Amino acid sequence: MKTAAARQRGVEHDIVQSPQVGDVSPYYEPQGNEVAIFEAAYKRRLPIMLKGPTGCGKTRFLEYMAFQLKRPLVTVSCHEDLTSSDLVGRFLLEGADTVWQDGPLTRAVKAGAICYLDEIVEARTDSTVVIHSLTDHRRKLSIEKKGQEIDAHEDFMLVISYNPGYQTVLKDLKPSTKQRFIAINFDFPSEEVERKVLVSEVPGTKPEVAQQLVAIGRKARLLKDHGLEESTSTRALVYAASMIAAGLDPVSACQVAMVNPITDDAELADALMEIVNAHFA
Amino acid sequence: MKHTPAIDQALAELQELSAAVHREVSAVLPDIVPHGEADTLDWLAACRALFSFERDAGLAFIRGSREAEQVSEEVRPWTGQALAFMQWRASWRALEGFMANVARAYGTLGHAGEKRWAEIGFSWCSRQIESGAAYFSTPVIDLAGRQGGITAIEQLLSPTEELYDSRKLMLGSYLGGAIRVRNLLGAQAILPWASRGADILQTGRTRGEAYFRLESEESLSMLLEHLPGYRLTDRNRLLGMLLDVWFGGEFDLRESTWSPEKGRPFIETDGRTIYFPAVMADREEAILALLHTAGHMRGRTFDRVAMEEMFAEAKLDFPKSGAVSWAPLFLRYGDDALRFQLIFDICEDLRVDAVVQRSVPNYLRRLARAAHALGVRHAETAPYFDLALASIESAFNGKADPRFARLFEAGSTIADAWRAAVKIYEGNEGKALPPVTDLEAFHMAYLPGRSPNAMRLAHPQETDDDSSQQQQPGAEEQGQQGDEGGEETEAPKNAESGEQGEDGEKQEVPSYGDSSGQAARSSGQSDQEGPNHGSSDKGIPYPEWDYRESRYKRNWSWVQEKRLAESNMTETNRLMKQYALALKRLKKAIQSQKPTRAAPLTQQLDGDDMDLNAVVAYVAEKRAGRSPRPAIYKRREIRQREVAVTLLADMSTSIMQHLPEGGGRLVDRIRAGVLLFAESMEEVGDAYSIAGFCSKYRDNVSYYTLKGFDETMSDDIRAQIGGMSGRLATRMGAAIRHATASFDGIESRRRLLLLLSDGRPEDYDDGGDRRYLHEDTRMAVKEAVAKGVHPFCVTVDTMANQYLPQIFGPGHYLVLDHINSLPNKLPEIYLRLRR
Repeated sequence: MKTAAARQRGVEHDIVQSPQVGDVSPYYEPQGNEVAIFEAAYKRRLPIMLKGPTGCGKTRFLEYMAFQLKRPLVTVSCHEDLTSSDLVGRFLLEGADTVWQDGPLTRAVKAGAICYLDEIVEARTDSTVVIHSLTDHRRKLSIEKKGQEIDAHEDFMLVISYNPGYQTVLKDLKPSTKQRFIAINFDFPSEEVERKVLVSEVPGTKPEVAQQLVAIGRKARLLKDHGLEESTSTRALVYAASMIAAGLDPVSACQVAMVNPITDDAELADALMEIVNAHFA
Repeated sequence: MKHTPAIDQALAELQELSAAVHREVSAVLPDIVPHGEADTLDWLAACRALFSFERDAGLAFIRGSREAEQVSEEVRPWTGQALAFMQWRASWRALEGFMANVARAYGTLGHAGEKRWAEIGFSWCSRQIESGAAYFSTPVIDLAGRQGGITAIEQLLSPTEELYDSRKLMLGSYLGGAIRVRNLLGAQAILPWASRGADILQTGRTRGEAYFRLESEESLSMLLEHLPGYRLTDRNRLLGMLLDVWFGGEFDLRESTWSPEKGRPFIETDGRTIYFPAVMADREEAILALLHTAGHMRGRTFDRVAMEEMFAEAKLDFPKSGAVSWAPLFLRYGDDALRFQLIFDICEDLRVDAVVQRSVPNYLRRLARAAHALGVRHAETAPYFDLALASIESAFNGKADPRFARLFEAGSTIADAWRAAVKIYEGNEGKALPPVTDLEAFHMAYLPGRSPNAMRLAHPQETDDDSSQQQQPGAEEQGQQGDEGGEETEAPKNAESGEQGEDGEKQEVPSYGDSSGQAARSSGQSDQEGPNHGSSDKGIPYPEWDYRESRYKRNWSWVQEKRLAESNMTETNRLMKQYALALKRLKKAIQSQKPTRAAPLTQQLDGDDMDLNAVVAYVAEKRAGRSPRPAIYKRREIRQREVAVTLLADMSTSIMQHLPEGGGRLVDRIRAGVLLFAESMEEVGDAYSIAGFCSKYRDNVSYYTLKGFDETMSDDIRAQIGGMSGRLATRMGAAIRHATASFDGIESRRRLLLLLSDGRPEDYDDGGDRRYLHEDTRMAVKEAVAKGVHPFCVTVDTMANQYLPQIFGPGHYLVLDHINSLPNKLPEIYLRLRR
């Protein structure tokens, strides 16, 4: 009983990995019809954009879908120094020769993997443009430096994630990029789903603890407009539940998992702790 | 009674002197005689001497003697002390005070203590007889405090000698305030309070004396700032966030005019606004109170329909419009109004707390826990407190109380609370509850977080039609009211003591006994006048650093943002002409400095593209058998030069001076400098704003924005620059804080605050203490840096080397030796800084 990730723990492995027989599906609790949408989009090989706040399950959803569709998943976490070379590939010197090395996107295009560009807005604009030709009917990746083009493998699919609001107005996807995608909106799951997630993600979580954590999360998210850049995520709730399951008292667990990480503002932390204390009073 | 001949002789002489004195003396004499003939004769002589010295003094001495003898069980010492008063003129008031208090001095301080008490007083009489009188007239118990002995008195008076010698502060102005400060804040607070006052006294006699009498706003704010407990004033944001979390939506939160002598601090509401006191006992009580008060607003205490129903039950007319006074509801109970009010509040608060519990988990448990933790209860009203506590605990200890059952239901209204209260009041249990007369006891009857609901006029809320919560309770219950009906009590008493007088309604303000102070103080004084509102006519408050106490004084300096009224286009045109050449040179220099296209960086170890030249070189070298560095990439670097700058000009009187070298006034150069700066900035293209400031006292700092960041340069602005002139003083710290705050919302990587000054920071109320505003400015600069704003000072004061390094730090200022160079230099300095 292993997930694909567990199979390869502590070992170097290629970024393109297909799920193997005997692997266990990653846990995912559907919030709505996102599975059906993804499957339909995959049938037509349309690129997908996952929108939603940090820690609401976008990446997990993709892992789950990749497993269900039996496709390898290549994840690239974008950052502000990420250039098109980092995606497509570059010439490297090897001894006296220059050799071309494929970037992760090229690898995925060739292998027919699902390529996941996480937080795409963080990347430089020149790198977002290279995906244009991949996202329309052409399904081609042009490798300018080599003067080549690759027609994508028939199973190749591009998925990007995009977190509106998190970035400043200065960083936004160009409309011409955005409108090439099927967009699925994610939000924090409903209370019932979130409770289920906690209980399934962290074995040994008591239903009433899950219930309290979820209630705290709901209230904490109301403070988003008071200066929190990111609201309390489902992931944070899972962490809190894990800390409780590992023996920490609930109030401390909530503090270290749900309050301290998201704010340095003493007053905000105070307000958040007030919510925690009220529930565990 | 038989006396020795000597005594009889003395009595006869007194009789001769005045029949009245003889009568008074004869009444006291039997208590004195047992101390022996010598003491008695001395005492009689003292009576005679003091009476001859001053009639009132003698009578006061004789009248006070009996009690003094009773407590001290001696005669000679205090007789001697009384005689000492004869060395000062017009000392009868002091002696009167002495005789009134000497017995209590013996009682509370003991014999040694009394001696010291008298000595201190005598030393004041010698200094100034009014001060001595004020000292002796102050009850000993007040001087010494509750537990204090003679040391407490010495401590209380320790700052006074200095104050008198250096500032001629009389004891009469000092004592009352000092005693209150000690009672509220403890003995250690007296000294800082007094030394602060000494500074204020120096700036003005009336202002200083008002401070010492605790009548001025600054002394009150000083008091509130030092009160022990949980400070709500600084936590407005936290309170708002908590309300948002638990109840959702915006609440109007304001600081009330509460001050320590008004008794227990409460959070209150009038149905529209939540008023919180500056300080509450502890955090838990404050939060419970906040939630409870918000519960009143969300739990429909002020629902018009429900209130109307309640008034109908009480057979009272409900006002058609405007704010509603609660008073008539309680007036019908006459002297028993407070008692009924407590019962009613227990019911209504319980109902509201049940509402709060539905939103806030564990609220009732916390409330009960806080109530238990409180421990002390006022003896008079403990049964009310316990009843309230029991009613809460009935919610979770399984012993449901039928009297309160309805109040826990979701659809219950204030009318239900009224009915429940009437039922309890008329029932046996209600009759067993003790009467309440004392306001302090009344206040102490409330559970932590709860407060008298009738403190303020109520603003009824209109019912939303879609609310399903609203249940119309059956009208048949009305029958069971055996009330004293429409009989209106004559006495204009009411239980209401809060802020009245809104909407011009002068209600029956006087209230129970000692609460009159509260009502009188607060009536007619609306909360809007309070010192702590974000922005108003008073402007925007900023803290100020007091180096003497190493702490910030909250809301100390007030900045008013204004527009410069004067503008002078002629002057601007003249300057433009005069400096046309200089401007041309500047613009050229700026253009040549402007970055064109971002040039790629070549020969990088890492990059987006290969640097072909480098590759060729690399390969060639490699072939030649060398081992070159593989720096063969090129990379585009976008240099970000986003700078925002504020030019903040000192517009104090001193800029109006004529230049020593002739050729006009300093202000001409400043105008020219600002103008050239503005024109250069237009060329540079960075975001910039221009402002000037001046001040008169801490509460009057004017900040003139000539050009905001979001404004485009216009002739109007140019004309304003031409119209700049000097006035008043230089409170630099407040101006820097305001300028720093105005960078908020400006997107830029670097923020520069360019300060143009001609002298040191000073203001009329700095008491001649230069260091004070220096230190404050230094802190303001530190704050600015912490907020990512870099202050840089350009000054024409050639002595500035003495103080600017401390304030701005080395390298963060520039002294211009030639004032005439200012116009050219100012833009240059900026261009150098932004590099």
